[in-house]
Amino acid sequence: MIEVKNLVKRYGNHTAVNDLSFTVNRGQILGFLGPNGAGKTTTMNIITGYISATEGTVTVNGIDVFEEPEEVKKMIGYLPEFPPLYPDLTVWEYLNFVADIKKVKKSARRQMVNDVMEATKIADMRNRLIKHLSKGYKQRVGLAQAIMGYPEVIILDEPTVGLDPKQIIEIRDLIRDLSKNHTVILSSHIMQEVNAVCDSVMIIDKGRLILQDKPENLSLHFGSTGGLKLVIKGNKNDVLNELKKIGRITKIEEKESLEEGTVSFTVYCKEDDDIREEVFYSMSKNNTPILEMQSIRMSLEDIFIKVTQDDAFINEDKPEVYEDKTEDLSSSADKEEVSNNAGDL
Amino acid sequence: MLAIYKKELRSYFTSMIGYVFISLFLAIIGVYFYIYNLVNRAANFEYTVANVSFIFVLLVPLLTMRIMAEENRQKTDQLLLTSPVTAADIVLGKFFAVFTILFMVVAVISTYPLIMSRFGEVPYASAYASLFGFLLLGGAYLAMGLYLSSLTESQVVAAVITFIVFFITLFMDNIAKSISTGSKSAFIFFTVLILIICFILWLMMHNLTVSVGTAVVGEGILLAIYLSKPALLEGSVIKVFNWLSANARFYNFYMGIFDLSDIIYYLSIIVLFLFLSIQVIKKKRWS
Repeated sequence: MIEVKNLVKRYGNHTAVNDLSFTVNRGQILGFLGPNGAGKTTTMNIITGYISATEGTVTVNGIDVFEEPEEVKKMIGYLPEFPPLYPDLTVWEYLNFVADIKKVKKSARRQMVNDVMEATKIADMRNRLIKHLSKGYKQRVGLAQAIMGYPEVIILDEPTVGLDPKQIIEIRDLIRDLSKNHTVILSSHIMQEVNAVCDSVMIIDKGRLILQDKPENLSLHFGSTGGLKLVIKGNKNDVLNELKKIGRITKIEEKESLEEGTVSFTVYCKEDDDIREEVFYSMSKNNTPILEMQSIRMSLEDIFIKVTQDDAFINEDKPEVYEDKTEDLSSSADKEEVSNNAGDL
Repeated sequence: MLAIYKKELRSYFTSMIGYVFISLFLAIIGVYFYIYNLVNRAANFEYTVANVSFIFVLLVPLLTMRIMAEENRQKTDQLLLTSPVTAADIVLGKFFAVFTILFMVVAVISTYPLIMSRFGEVPYASAYASLFGFLLLGGAYLAMGLYLSSLTESQVVAAVITFIVFFITLFMDNIAKSISTGSKSAFIFFTVLILIICFILWLMMHNLTVSVGTAVVGEGILLAIYLSKPALLEGSVIKVFNWLSANARFYNFYMGIFDLSDIIYYLSIIVLFLFLSIQVIKKKRWS
């Protein structure tokens, strides 16, 4: 659907996007993740034809953005970082204008504007001037503008900025709904958002693609530090002795216990080693019941920070792309769900 | 283009600016009409038209300052440029919308000669010829204002620059009258002009070879003309100044001379500045 090849954008000596390549398939939601100034917005501006690239090609449905921009623009709806709104128009006037320049047929226009306002929940505001709307509503009008005409590709630059938690959830639901019929690219620096919405995540830093994978797999590749956080009822030495008997444990750290009569440990093992069962039975035999057990995994935040700060990663010639491994990893995906084996045996 | 035209035209009337422009324009013309035609009992409406032509300098910047600059500031250009409309659609839609405002004014004042006809003979031909010239002159000013507005993000900067440029064009023909016609002064004038152009070229492109090359070639040609046929240069500076003066040709209409070259002059000014505005928008993509 969208194919980006060796995209480079330079401003003088500054390289905003450096040799970026990726493809997005129909119906997919791709998330751009990256710190401020990573090149997310620049990449989106290039795909939408707002600015040109220094090198490289972008094709949408096989049509080159640089050769036939008008054709590509027909297929794309874009919500930029700052929603492009005319403050002196009402919501209704604005959306009609947008429908008009997006070449929506006159007969269908009224219906479509109503539908879009329904979908973004701004129908109540139809007769208000845009300058009188709150930030959240402005963002939604911007979103309404992007989906006007139901383009095949919808590109959203930080769509949930400035919204309250309830609105964020609504917008995410809306985006997920949209992905049934549209291809969506969105950018964000909020991990949960990408995690909640996207099929595929691209981490970009300093204009380079660092990693692309499904969000749930990201933590698998980086998060397998191998370890458990335990809260165990019983005497400290007793528990410690028993834990030391388990050979697969490589390191034991004692933590401060918050509850009377319990002890807290963090135990480590080799990566991709699963010691949960062994720990469970050994504690059970020892008559020191496990009250809490939690596998340690890296959160997306940790991965993000690790990946974007790690120079070794950035200097690698080929970015790591784990695209097709998803099937065989899906079974182990359950593993990284925080496993709480709380239970009084 | 029609979508942008409709939206622009509406925006003049949802904000104050359309009403302010039209009412101010009509008020000033009304005063002149009253003094020249009614109080002094002259049947020639072109007197009024000729004398109010200076108000373009004051009012057009007011009308055109926001036309592109506001889009740049509000980032709404991003909507337009990522929609399936061309840069030409945007510029033409905006130009015709603002021209429509001017046309409304001219439509109203075109009834004034008819009012006068109740009191005696009115030379319609020269009255309407001057109104036609007035419309063309206004169109040329609007196109210039639109171009200058597209260069900046600030309405104030756009208004000030537009005002200065208009002011210079207004006095261009007066300046031209006081310039020596000799070929030597023409040579100096064109030398300075070439140097200025090359300096601007260098500022825009940062390419030393192009700007120095232009200077050398330009000076060479100029020197060749000056040495071989100095007669060609005589009076040429005045021609240039007159060419730059948007008003000079308007007085032909005022004097009842309906010259095709004047019409073409104004139309080409309009086309030139609209073309430049389109280029400014297109350039944004490649910067």
